[in-house]
Amino acid sequence: MTEKIQLSPKEPWIELRTTPEDWRNANPKLLENMLGQMHLIRAFEETVLQLASEGLVHGPAHSSIGQEGGAVGSIVGLRGTDAVNGSHRGHHQFLAKAISYVAPHGLDVTHLVNPAVQEVLQRTLAEILGLAQGYCRGRGGSMHLQWMEAGALGTNAIVGGGVPLGAGNAWAQKNAGTSDLTVSYFGDGAVNIGSVLETMNLTAAWDIPLVFFIENNLYAVSTHVSEVTAEERLSGRGTGFGIPSWRVDGMDPLAVHLAMQEISEHVRAGKGPAIIEAEVYRFFHQNGPFPGSAFGYRPKDEEEAWRNRDPLARVANEMINLGLLDQAMVDEVRNQAQAAMQAAVDQLLEPDLAGKPGARKIRAELWPSVDFVNVGVRGDASELAGARTEELTSFAGAKEEVRFVDAVAAVMDRRMETDPRIVVLGEDVHRLKGGTNGATKGLVDKYPGRVLGTPISENAFAGLGGGMALDGRFRPVIEFMYPDFMWVAADQVFNQIGKARHMFGGDAAVPLVIRTKVAMGSGYGSQHLMDPAGIFATAPGWRIVAASNPFDYVGLMNAALALQDPVLVIEHVDLYASKGEIAQGDFDYQIEFGKAAVKREGSDLTILTYLSMVNHSLEAVEQTGVDAEVIDLRWLDRASLDWDTIGASIKKTNAVMIVEQGAQGTSYGSWLADEIQRRFFDYLDQPVQRVHGGEASPSISKVLERAAIARTEEVVAGIHHVVEGFGKN
Amino acid sequence: MATLIRMPEVAAGATEIVLAKWNIQEGSVVKAGDVIAEMETEKAVVDFESETDGRVYKVLVADGASVEVGNPILVLLAEGEEASAGDALLGGSAVGPVASVASVSAEPAVAAADVAAVVAPPVASAVPTEPAATVLADGTDRRFVSPIVRKLSHEQGVDLTQLVGTGPGGRIVRRDLEAFIAQRGPVAPDSPQLGVQPTPSMPASGSAIAKQEYSSSYVTVPHSGMRRAIARRLTESKTTVPHFYVTADCKVDALLALRKSINETSPVKISVNDFVVKAVAAALMDVPEANVVWNPDSMLKYESADISVAVATDGGLLTPVVRGAEKRSLSNLSTEISELVAKARAGKLRQDDLEGGSFAVTNLGMYGTKEFTAILNPPQSGILAVGAASPRAIVEDGEIVVANVMTVTLSADHRAVDGALAAQWLAAFVKRIENPLSMLI
Repeated sequence: MTEKIQLSPKEPWIELRTTPEDWRNANPKLLENMLGQMHLIRAFEETVLQLASEGLVHGPAHSSIGQEGGAVGSIVGLRGTDAVNGSHRGHHQFLAKAISYVAPHGLDVTHLVNPAVQEVLQRTLAEILGLAQGYCRGRGGSMHLQWMEAGALGTNAIVGGGVPLGAGNAWAQKNAGTSDLTVSYFGDGAVNIGSVLETMNLTAAWDIPLVFFIENNLYAVSTHVSEVTAEERLSGRGTGFGIPSWRVDGMDPLAVHLAMQEISEHVRAGKGPAIIEAEVYRFFHQNGPFPGSAFGYRPKDEEEAWRNRDPLARVANEMINLGLLDQAMVDEVRNQAQAAMQAAVDQLLEPDLAGKPGARKIRAELWPSVDFVNVGVRGDASELAGARTEELTSFAGAKEEVRFVDAVAAVMDRRMETDPRIVVLGEDVHRLKGGTNGATKGLVDKYPGRVLGTPISENAFAGLGGGMALDGRFRPVIEFMYPDFMWVAADQVFNQIGKARHMFGGDAAVPLVIRTKVAMGSGYGSQHLMDPAGIFATAPGWRIVAASNPFDYVGLMNAALALQDPVLVIEHVDLYASKGEIAQGDFDYQIEFGKAAVKREGSDLTILTYLSMVNHSLEAVEQTGVDAEVIDLRWLDRASLDWDTIGASIKKTNAVMIVEQGAQGTSYGSWLADEIQRRFFDYLDQPVQRVHGGEASPSISKVLERAAIARTEEVVAGIHHVVEGFGKN
Repeated sequence: MATLIRMPEVAAGATEIVLAKWNIQEGSVVKAGDVIAEMETEKAVVDFESETDGRVYKVLVADGASVEVGNPILVLLAEGEEASAGDALLGGSAVGPVASVASVSAEPAVAAADVAAVVAPPVASAVPTEPAATVLADGTDRRFVSPIVRKLSHEQGVDLTQLVGTGPGGRIVRRDLEAFIAQRGPVAPDSPQLGVQPTPSMPASGSAIAKQEYSSSYVTVPHSGMRRAIARRLTESKTTVPHFYVTADCKVDALLALRKSINETSPVKISVNDFVVKAVAAALMDVPEANVVWNPDSMLKYESADISVAVATDGGLLTPVVRGAEKRSLSNLSTEISELVAKARAGKLRQDDLEGGSFAVTNLGMYGTKEFTAILNPPQSGILAVGAASPRAIVEDGEIVVANVMTVTLSADHRAVDGALAAQWLAAFVKRIENPLSMLI
């Protein structure tokens, strides 16, 4: 007979309900503020749906009608320096945070809308319509609403995608010494996605002040929560991660507010994250002005029952019962909200005289200029102006020979010493005497709390870094142990970090570094041995640097850490053990921004390469005796590439070969070849030639791995091919 | 039964015909007598009719392809017949020669297109000195030139047809151009910084500046089939036929007077050229030894005067034939020539309007040209180039007098016509043209 011992979770899981006493004890100003905010949001959302039905909203309009109580109840008690982010359905949270920010003392129901509130309504509506006066200049629209000043970090169209970023913001708040917190809002549909669950685990492990606010509206588009999860009480997720959790009726804004008060106390005290699940209901379908029942996935009587629990009516009725106002006043609140929206609409629309009677259109002058389309994909690198730059060939000071990997650790040491904002995070970076390769050697002891060994949750810790970078008080350096892991974190790396600046209007800096190492030749097989340069080069927002020697690495890492953009720093295991000269005791210079290095001058062929293939190319050139010019690109991304050096060389040699080691499909050279033929077609004497690995990802088997990648021998073969193209003369 | 249709010999002696345009596509049902394609010979567009009923199974050459006579162009299936019958035809020995043609096309890009493979001439691409030109599906002579060579050759004023490409697939590469220029010697380049070295001692001449100005912009007009045919035939003629020339001045006062009096009554307006053609016909009868055509192993002696008349059209030069000119009255001849000219300009000449003829007349007198020499129109042995009649001072009986004089130059094929014979013929012509009444008898 086995013995059974009842276990209990580390942290409590409770349901909180209000009593009549709670309503009596509630501050009338709080209730008035909540009622006013909810009416403004309701009128706002009704306006959006009206404009959507007139075809004036480009893209989806995810209305929050019915869910106002959760947002207002939770935000009304926050500080201006607290932050929120949200999902595709985020108008209500954004408005609640923005209105609370411009009206910190609450709304007065007799004079609901002051000019600052009116501006919030108009600019938010303008953003949803895609107009230049919007918070993100019309780039973000309904699903990417950001106003950093007000602590609205940005809503997010990837389910669960904003949650790791919220954690990064919360980490920054805590480590900047504040007791501020961040609330990340998401729905029942997002509870089951990895980003959210990874972030629950990570924030609990590190006591990060993040509030996971689950708006459980029962339906992920049309799929009922009971169809996709066994524990439908979604706040139940918390106990498994050691996170205290609250469940509350989201149609009762006061209940939400009171739960959030308890949560704030817990989180602000440094005890780590909390989960709150608010049961809410969207009165309409996923998007657009029709109820869900019109699409057949839920019955009308269910909708009717929830409509009868409308949070606006709940607060109004409680206030009437308490004698705080009368129905006429409630009606007047709604009138004021609707009038405010009418005023906002009048600023943005005009009659469409060419359309049907009564038709409206957006005022043409309000659209963003189409010139704006690519502005702010990344910064302008002006932050590097005035930096001291050095080159190995011209460096006048003392030099010493070191192993490449020691230069990696040494420059990070120096930067962490001079810049307290720098934080290193990744798997095992804090152990093994400097991580799996020694790249963080000595840092964990010198900089406690700034070298963070993460859980194996690439999406969560990449997003955590992204959130830190967007906050701006810290400069995360994220290590991906192998480049292929970027696919695991692809949402955070490409959808979030890479696109954030542009998507939110083009101004917000995203200073972040990802370090990773190409490991072809190490036998780690198909899922560890890619070269990420090609993928990052074709994704917007990223800068990429790759050093072929330790001197360049120091200067490129310094530039990467000074840039206000996300930068991928690619290393190579083959180079770690190699030795090269660095500046003795000088780790403070940069490699000039966007400057390639001509490693060998030549007149017959231009070889464009980077990382370990620079040395392979130089070897191959010596073996063949062809007078090739070998260019170490160093700065690889579209915006940083040294077209002057490349162009001068191509105009001289009229023949180009791009050399890289990795697989053909994700290769770097494909986009570069395309760009070269566009820019230099008339200077080419033969097709742009390529040296790269095979189609397959390199295998474990030593001979198959060798056959799958390029090294010196493949470059030699490539040169012979180019020579054939010289003809017989 | 499935039928393999081959390129017919649309024009006598033609070795290659351009399939200008299919009127059918795979799957089309055709009836005997339907015009299924238009064939473009060197001189005309000819309708190609199906000889049988059937359904089109495979079209083997694309619109615009230049196809060797006898090569397969189309597979027709009988109504209700299975595709396998067509495949059997294509796979069988019936098209063996086609396969062998395809196999010599060494450029993979070209071989990949089956159409191109069918029409590709046997190019021994392994021979590195083969010029970088091959015939593609669109019938064009394609010369592969690297982009930098295009740019530099334009700047350097190099005619790329003079170069032999030694790069992959016969591509003309930079080093080919450099070798050519080194051999040719430099000319004043447009752009001294680019690759090919200028000669520093070369002064900036006026012509170089002019070239810069004029070479800075141009438009590229793709060749029509006719333009290519003219280029090919006349190049062939001028380079393979031993031309020689004899010239005479003809006093035409009598002719002009006669023409004037005829035109006062004739319903048909007779031109000077009509008289010239008539005189040529008469001279050919007077000196029948000159009415011959060179064949490699025999001489064709013509019995009638079938005379090609050069007609300038928008598309280029056409030479319809006036048959039996010696038998025609002047007015009949004039009418016939007018009709041929009108048809030529309307693009309505038929192949048989253009075939045959032993002699040609080309007249630029209407442009005021005083005299010129013409290139023979193969296989003919003679072509008379006629200049403008104009009043000139001549010496007659020791006196300088004014007469209307027309200079004519006979180009003759020395293989068929010796100098003395040409001179005899020309004298006969002069006699006829200066005594026009003799032609009316």
